[in-house]
Amino acid sequence: MDPISWLLGLGSLLVFGIVVVHLLAALVLIIPTWRICTRAGFSGALSLFHLVPLIGPFIVMGVLAFSDWPNGEAPPGKR
Amino acid sequence: MGMEILGLLGLSSVFGLIGLVLAGWMAWRIVEKSGLPGWAGLGAILLTLTGIGTIVPLILLLVFAFMRWPRDEIASAALGASARPLSPTALPPPPAALADRRAWRLSGLSAGGPVALSMDGTLPTYLLTGGAAQQANELAVPDPTVGQPHARLFVSGGRLGLEDLGTPGGTRIDGARLLPEHGPRDISAARVVHVGTVELALSRA
Repeated sequence: MDPISWLLGLGSLLVFGIVVVHLLAALVLIIPTWRICTRAGFSGALSLFHLVPLIGPFIVMGVLAFSDWPNGEAPPGKR
Repeated sequence: MGMEILGLLGLSSVFGLIGLVLAGWMAWRIVEKSGLPGWAGLGAILLTLTGIGTIVPLILLLVFAFMRWPRDEIASAALGASARPLSPTALPPPPAALADRRAWRLSGLSAGGPVALSMDGTLPTYLLTGGAAQQANELAVPDPTVGQPHARLFVSGGRLGLEDLGTPGGTRIDGARLLPEHGPRDISAARVVHVGTVELALSRA
């Protein structure tokens, strides 16, 4: 096997590994976030933003942090 | 080359720091909205910087997602709620039966026309449905936002209870959202119930 093919194979394997690890990490985050979103009154599908690399979790957290929860929030005096 | 690598590392550090501050701030706000102290959310984010790594914040995220939030307890207290009964088909014994035994009446306007539902207590439970009433204990609210079935009503000791059955349209008691996990709620003192987008006024017949 020539070195180029060997390097291409190694690179493909590396990319595949990164994608699998990313999907597993996203799944671990999606499960609790789905529950948090539904309890807050949003669609659970919002948690699927975790699948977007790097900025996905920030989008979910941003929506939860800076919008009014349809199911209500704790009153300021009780926080 | 060395300077370029140092510059890249510096840029990564700046982005990492901005991300950390943003995440900490947002976690603070999210946790506060649930009724818990905001520093708990910030602390969970800062834990990722320590040697504990990311597993502890992940466990904390799971605990936060599935624990009972103070927000829910406040909502329950506001509704004058009682504990969830063991059986989903019966109300717990009411704290005090009401002397007034007149039938309960829910009236309003749905997409299918005027709605007037009467619950006289001859049956212990009623099912509120958006479709046509098939059985004696079914009460029809013909509207696309009302589930089939949508909610369960209980009559016990002259009191009226309501339980949401988890349909997308949702149920509100005097504006407060009723969730399936809240179980049956005593609505004898309520004035308005929303099933989906249909507003029903509660009164005695």
